[in-house]
Amino acid sequence: MGVDTIIQTIANALVLGSVYAMVAVGLAIAFGVMQMANFSHGELFMAGSYVVFVLYTLLGMPFLLAVILAFPIVAMIGLAFERLIFRPTRGNVLAGFMASAGAGFILQVLVGQQWGVGLMRTIQTPFPGGAEVLGASISYQRLLIFPATVIMVTGLWYFLTRVKAGKALRACAQDPEAAVLQGISLNKMTGLAMLLSGGFAGVGGALMAPIIPVTPYMGHTYAVTAFVIVIVGGMASIEGAVIAAFILGFIHTIVATLYDSVTATMVGVLFMAIVLILKPTGLMGRVKV
Amino acid sequence: MLLELKNTSVFYGKVQATHDVSISVPEGQIVTLIGSNGAGKSTTLRMISGLERPQTGDVLYDGESILSLPPEKITGIGIAHVPEGRRVFPQMTVMENLEMGAYLRSESKEMAHNLDLVFSHFPRLKERVSQHAGTMSGGEQQMLAMGRALMSNPKLVLMDEPTLGLSPIMCQEIAGIIKKINNNGRTIVLVEQNARLALALADYGYVLDTGEVVIEGVADKLREDDDIQKTYLGLG
Repeated sequence: MGVDTIIQTIANALVLGSVYAMVAVGLAIAFGVMQMANFSHGELFMAGSYVVFVLYTLLGMPFLLAVILAFPIVAMIGLAFERLIFRPTRGNVLAGFMASAGAGFILQVLVGQQWGVGLMRTIQTPFPGGAEVLGASISYQRLLIFPATVIMVTGLWYFLTRVKAGKALRACAQDPEAAVLQGISLNKMTGLAMLLSGGFAGVGGALMAPIIPVTPYMGHTYAVTAFVIVIVGGMASIEGAVIAAFILGFIHTIVATLYDSVTATMVGVLFMAIVLILKPTGLMGRVKV
Repeated sequence: MLLELKNTSVFYGKVQATHDVSISVPEGQIVTLIGSNGAGKSTTLRMISGLERPQTGDVLYDGESILSLPPEKITGIGIAHVPEGRRVFPQMTVMENLEMGAYLRSESKEMAHNLDLVFSHFPRLKERVSQHAGTMSGGEQQMLAMGRALMSNPKLVLMDEPTLGLSPIMCQEIAGIIKKINNNGRTIVLVEQNARLALALADYGYVLDTGEVVIEGVADKLREDDDIQKTYLGLG
């Protein structure tokens, strides 16, 4: 393997890890605050791609504006899910699972009816060409994803550690009942969690739209990987999710380069199993009191 | 009366946890609820905070029913709850925990004042503002949980088993602080399994047994009561 192949693999892994981080962080926040997994998270990612398809490809808006708008638009879908699905089923994990998975299917069908099923939506990249780094080439479109992730995850970090509402969100994730006793409204916090969760998944999907096939079912593989990442990272831990996202990004890229992507997914799940055997709470698992 | 429970009964599903419990808490006093495990002490405290709802009866605070308020609003009217098992936010720093206690009182001047007060009660917390709460000892976590409750500047503090699992020395320290908090003009409802310590601190006591108030009286009288000495103080 030459130097250029190694550089190429590292670059690809960073990009893939970034996308995973964007999707997994949202899942981790939602899980942390609601103690329920959102099985329609992949469809929020898909919705982000369709925001770009509609605003950029169909309506001709600037690409970056479409990406930025994907945040509030998909965040509102997340908020609607919180009100209609997670709040009524709070504390009932099975009902939450069925209702959120159902909501995912509904979103797929709605998008399919509107813009077609099975037909791949091709979205022209607004940034043709690519950069050459030590013999490796990365398209500008992919190169955009890494700094976008750094900015968004840093922004989230700032919000969660410096802003009162962000700290309250962490308090809810660590002990919802104790948080309520401090005067924090659980309903407001679950709403905020799903807003952020949707926004991050939406921007992830929006940035990836020109790179991957856009179909109503595209969210599935990303959601599965996001679940693996969140489990490896320690369910509610945001640091854990980011770290695990990049680890999985590297594992998938390296194995896919040497073998193929199916094997890569298998190795990823195997990695999750090994982590869970060695440390059942995940890499950054929450402290059990 | 600052707080009055009138004939309250709480059910967990079909199981009745408390029967017809009536308790009066005069302003400025320490009132203790003692009794064995499962007597309904914690349930009664959780009901005052709105975490449980009574099927019958009423809870009056300052003469008004607070049954319709959700728990996060009850904090806002001046009732703070130090929950059983401390329940500090383990992955947040001491300072962040205290900030959460001031969630509804975060106006900077008021917060600085409450913070000074908390640090005067618990100098140890001041030394540890940036330590993660989950890495502290049980006694320190108890101090943090109490400090966090005081950050909302409450009139009434509900304390659930504050000395549970602590060393005898730490128990005495916590007891001293409870007295100090009371001397500052705050009313306290103290739930304790350590009846001896609770009755030494309190003005008035209620003994609960399987969800019912079986004896009540002035704390000093209860301490001298033969039955209580035999059953709850391990004497006789």
